[in-house]
Amino acid sequence: MTESAVVVDGVSKRFRLYRERNATLKSALMRGRASVYEEFWAVRDVSFDVPRGTTLGLIGRNGSGKSTLLKTLARILHPDEGQITMSGRVASLLEVGSGFHPELSGRENIYLNGSILGMSRKEIDSRFDEIVDFSEVRKFIDQPVKNYSSGMYVRLGFSVAVHVSPDILIVDEVLAVGDAAFKTKSKRKFAEFRDQKRTIILVSHSMPQVRALCDQVVWLDGGRVRAIGPSDEVVDAYLAHIDADEVDSNEE
Amino acid sequence: MSYARDLLRTRELLGNLVQREIKGKYRRTVLGQLWSLLNPLATMLVYTVVFSFIFQARPRVGDPSGLDIYPLWLMSGLLAWSFFTRAVTGGLSSIVSNAGLIKKVYFPRMHLPFAVTLSTGFNWLFELGVLIAAIWLFGGFPIPWIPLLLVFMVLLGLLATGIAMLLAIVNVHFRDTQHFTAIVISMWFYLTPVIYPISLVETAAAQRGDWILTVYRLNPMERFIAVFRNLLYDNTWPALDDSLVCFAWAIGAFLLGYVVFVNNEKRLAELL
Ligand SMILES: Nc1ncnc2c1ncn2[C@@H]1O[C@H](COP(=O)(O)OP(=O)(O)OP(=O)(O)O)[C@@H](O)[C@H]1O
Ligand SMILES: [Mg+2]
Repeated sequence: MTESAVVVDGVSKRFRLYRERNATLKSALMRGRASVYEEFWAVRDVSFDVPRGTTLGLIGRNGSGKSTLLKTLARILHPDEGQITMSGRVASLLEVGSGFHPELSGRENIYLNGSILGMSRKEIDSRFDEIVDFSEVRKFIDQPVKNYSSGMYVRLGFSVAVHVSPDILIVDEVLAVGDAAFKTKSKRKFAEFRDQKRTIILVSHSMPQVRALCDQVVWLDGGRVRAIGPSDEVVDAYLAHIDADEVDSNEE
Repeated sequence: MSYARDLLRTRELLGNLVQREIKGKYRRTVLGQLWSLLNPLATMLVYTVVFSFIFQARPRVGDPSGLDIYPLWLMSGLLAWSFFTRAVTGGLSSIVSNAGLIKKVYFPRMHLPFAVTLSTGFNWLFELGVLIAAIWLFGGFPIPWIPLLLVFMVLLGLLATGIAMLLAIVNVHFRDTQHFTAIVISMWFYLTPVIYPISLVETAAAQRGDWILTVYRLNPMERFIAVFRNLLYDNTWPALDDSLVCFAWAIGAFLLGYVVFVNNEKRLAELL
């Protein structure tokens, strides 16, 4: 058995849905001491293991808790129950370019974003050219990023994130962005990651992509694990389920 | 303690966040960094006209520096005050205004209020540099006091950051906090002897009861301003009791802010 890079053990995440959430003192006082909210479990009792060097895909309908689960893995959210163990350096890419400052240049933003993602200045120095080449924005690297097209923005953000060279990479639907050429390029980067025995956890709505990239797939349904197993098996089951749903709704 | 280790490990991020604050602030302005000097100069001009010429307020004569110049006396205290308020108000809103970042990436969030204090402190160094030069020019000799001045800058920074961290958490729950704090700070300013000397309060206390002065001196900023004036304007050792009170407030406020922040940090992303 290969060792696990990520162990998720009985993880649950609960949100409070406030009737009125306008975060003012007045509304708190009007409500009285007990604030009115409903509890909502976005992720419920999820467990799985990811062996080192493999890719795990998370699939499921909109709102099934995929992004919430990724955020708990990325330490952005804290699980209310259960435990997550990760061995190695983790980088998450939940939204590209989120750490960019519009008035700063591309160059300055590479350093800022790189350090947010956990790179030291030296590491960024040594990978700077690679990052810029991969993003193909060299001509504009000293321009403020607010002058970038949205595609350029995304390319630069993605490029920084994949050059962090983490042991565990967590990505949420990032491959959906960029033009065709860039998509090919990012796919090649993912393949390279796998060859280097890095662990990837990704969310995608593109089933062909999931089949191509993932070794193992977790299907989330209403926050719970509906199925887990080899990617083709789970994807087939998921697609069959969706087709059945569609037939149902057509018959009504 | 593991949180402190996390902070230390990611200190380069703090450096970059500070740079972002500093560079982003005066980007696309013609005067750039000069703005950070023009602002206090303008304030100085206004207060000098109003208090020195209109109200005929006389500053204390610096002892032993012998200085007797209202604008210099004023700025020795006002610079400390303006650093404090900028660090508190900036740090207090640093969590809410970086919501986008907090919801998308993990990093020790305490770096955000830290970055505000450090970048404010960086700008403040320019202002202090100019003030020290001016005091020197007019006959004071503040140079030997610079090391001690830096120590008190750090203490004031700790006090401001502690308060900012505490309020930043409250602000996430109630956005009223930032508006409320703005009002409190403007009242606090007039309750602190920045533009007028403490001797006015002493006179009032002598007539109406000593408790006035006792209450007045509970204000930590009164102590800090006194210390900064001792160092910059008088060029002498600050009083021991003032120094100890400054120290206690700084450490106390910082620890309180730190503990409250660490205990609430985990839920920040979902509350924003
Ligand atoms: N901060 C929050 N507060 C309250 N509810 C939330 C919060 N974040 C997510 N949710 C809820 O949790 C559920 C799961 O959301 P999540 O974003 O994880 O879905 P998803 O599987 O990523 O969906 P999609 O495929 O659309 O990206 C949704 O019902 C959503 O409304
Ligand atoms: Mg999602």
